[in-house]
Amino acid sequence: MTRAGRPWSVGVLGGGAWGLALATAASRAGSPTLLFSRRSSDASQSRFAWTHEFAELAAAKLILVAVPSHLARAVLRELGDHLDGSHVLVHGVRGLVGSELATISQVVREETPVRRCGALGGPVQADELADGSPSAMVVASEFAEVTNAVRARLECEHLTVYETSDLRGVEWASALVGCLSIGVGYAQARRNVSAGMLAALISRAVDEAVSIALAAGATEARTFYGLAGYGDLLASMALPNRPEIVLGRALARGETLELAREQTKLRVEAIELVPRVTAFAKARGLRCDVFEALTAILDGTLEPASIVRSLFAH
Amino acid sequence: MRENAPIFGFNRDRARLRAETVARVLEQSQNALHALNDACYFEIRRLDGAKRPKDVAELDRWRSLARRLAKMDGDERNRELVRLVEDYAEDIAGNFNPRVYRATASVLPSLVTGLLSPRKLSEILRNPAQLVGLEALGDEVVVDGDLELLRRLAARGTLVFVPTHSSNMDSIVFGYALERAKLPPATYGAGKNLFTNPLLSFFMHNLGAYKVDRRIVHGLYKDCLKAYSTVLLENGYHSLFFPGGTRSRSGAIETRLKLGLMGTGVEAYTRSILARRERKIFFVPATINYLIALEAETLIEDFLTDAGKARYIIEDDESTRPGRVLAFAKKLLTMASSVVIRFGAPLDPFGLEVDAEGTSFDAHGRAVRTPSYVEGLDGKVRIDAARDGQYTRELGRTLAASYRKNTVFMATHVVAAASFEHLVEVGHGADLFTTLRLRHEHISRDELARRVAEKRDRILELEQRGEAVLAAPIRTASGGDIVAQAIAAFRGYHASPVLDPEDDGIVFADPKLLFYYQNRLARHGLAYDPDARMAARAGASQIRREPGAGA
Repeated sequence: MTRAGRPWSVGVLGGGAWGLALATAASRAGSPTLLFSRRSSDASQSRFAWTHEFAELAAAKLILVAVPSHLARAVLRELGDHLDGSHVLVHGVRGLVGSELATISQVVREETPVRRCGALGGPVQADELADGSPSAMVVASEFAEVTNAVRARLECEHLTVYETSDLRGVEWASALVGCLSIGVGYAQARRNVSAGMLAALISRAVDEAVSIALAAGATEARTFYGLAGYGDLLASMALPNRPEIVLGRALARGETLELAREQTKLRVEAIELVPRVTAFAKARGLRCDVFEALTAILDGTLEPASIVRSLFAH
Repeated sequence: MRENAPIFGFNRDRARLRAETVARVLEQSQNALHALNDACYFEIRRLDGAKRPKDVAELDRWRSLARRLAKMDGDERNRELVRLVEDYAEDIAGNFNPRVYRATASVLPSLVTGLLSPRKLSEILRNPAQLVGLEALGDEVVVDGDLELLRRLAARGTLVFVPTHSSNMDSIVFGYALERAKLPPATYGAGKNLFTNPLLSFFMHNLGAYKVDRRIVHGLYKDCLKAYSTVLLENGYHSLFFPGGTRSRSGAIETRLKLGLMGTGVEAYTRSILARRERKIFFVPATINYLIALEAETLIEDFLTDAGKARYIIEDDESTRPGRVLAFAKKLLTMASSVVIRFGAPLDPFGLEVDAEGTSFDAHGRAVRTPSYVEGLDGKVRIDAARDGQYTRELGRTLAASYRKNTVFMATHVVAAASFEHLVEVGHGADLFTTLRLRHEHISRDELARRVAEKRDRILELEQRGEAVLAAPIRTASGGDIVAQAIAAFRGYHASPVLDPEDDGIVFADPKLLFYYQNRLARHGLAYDPDARMAARAGASQIRREPGAGA
């Protein structure tokens, strides 16, 4: 219950930039919102309420999950003690978990009693969402009930929420775009990569990503060509401060991975993901030259100059 | 307790169930004109060009209705709709004859014995005192799983048995397994064609089967079927569905389920809550494993014929031929563990495992309040077809995983897998059809025994991880013994020998049947997997294409 006695219509799990942005957007759309964070809050400054208790968060039936992927399993397990089948969990987590590359919705099923889950994706950035500047995102769920609820509680004049049933497709698209963004940053920083070459590299990379996503259970290629894939990747190209881009650029300058990591400030989940996705693709006989090149870039085992050559060798 | 199962009162209940079904369908079909138009369109299409006088007359009736529809007023249309729905409900609603049930339940083994020697059967029927008890089949038919748990759940809610499907014998064999396990009998929807099968119609008519006419495809008929199934579940009638829809053609365990009537589980449960008398529904997955398969020849031929894929209803297979059923029954009775029915862990309609109290548990072992799954975000319980469809698809995936874990591998499957592997090697990895044309390849006994033992050991490894089950007779047997068991099982049933023992080795006489039997292991990665090969080839051709080249 809210302090005014009304039920919370949206709960947000995670007090990072993304969680705060989602809570702000939900409040702006008129949904009474409660945010769970372990950090101390400045509730007087925000449009929404704060809590440190999972039990309180569970009073909201729709919960948006915004925690880093490496913490998701532990946090969801704890939250799971307070949930039942009537809860709806929708995550905005970019990443795949463990060596088996589980999506967060799979983790939700493993760690909580919740069956109705979904994922957010697309090019919208945390600051745009928080500022209320016009933007678009996508919500995916196999349950129409879930996508409807998210649209009803998040959409407002400045935010359009598109929907799809291809949950797995959106989750993989978000994770793979994170990986490809490192490559974009890398290529952007290399002087010998022309705009045309960059475009060719990206098209090639997207083609690989699509077949990987389909092999992982995405239901349609279109998902990747939409907001959650291409849309998100185009945003990366225009965002010099996006952590993956910063990392890629640093690596292109010949810096070590350690040094490059320090410059990103935020954790880059794609660093661990790239070699795992490459192994996943190889095990299924899928072409993955771009992902192999990314693995080599992160390992520092490939000379920058030879990368483009290796990608377009006949 | 089983005599309290609702099915024993079915005949008393029948009129009420039928009326409830009719009322529900009429309540759902808001547009009589649309429903009737749809029915006319599909029925005329189905019957067009019919030759049999009965079908011609039916076609005429539909054409006449189609002509009159436009001119009818609302009341006339509604009367027409009511008549049609009543007819369908009457046609679908089955029959249950407790006397036949009790007799078959105890006589079935003798009946099968009787098939072996018709003289003996007439003797038994004249003098029921001679009845051989159910124990007669004790060694041959094995029923496995947590039966006590299922018996307790039967008292707490409605059981929905959802076994694998590979033979027309399945419903009878499964009914027998329920009796053996002291579980209540279940009603089930059987293809209408089975009611005309001379050997099966007797059971179908009297053991509580209801009729599903798979030729009728229009929405109103499907609504009638669904409503009838839902009403049965709400009223506590334990039911049997085959989620595979139709018999597995390849012999492989089913991975893609058609679901069909399974979706009525969530609706029946939700309605029971809305009516303030919550009645839980428990889905019970099971595998039916045969040492030899009655219809193997027809099914594998159908699988391999592209055109055959459309042959949804087969009316002329081995199950209609008394001689083949007799030979099959003979095998069943002379081989130890020739049929194994294995029950998996019971599930609620949302795919959660349940305990003996009927409480649902999530993957972390937390007890979950079951009705919460049908509550909306506002906390209200409601029926939502889209939501329930998704729950049912997910349940289907859980069932497929249960089938895989609970598949029991037998001598014929393991020997066929080892043999077919050799054939693929001989053919240097040629495509499937070339491999199937290889004739009279042979292998030394020692070599085949070695390969068989190796396969068995790999199955044991899977079993230790809980991913498969090995049949008892081949658990500790030597490779050579397993081969001998398989040869003995094949001999005398299949029209021509599958494996032909010769002085200097064993000849692979029927690669198609070897393929059929080895397919059982394919989903476990222990045998040639035609689906995986095809998928890999399709994938490979897709990725050779350069980006944009396809545009």
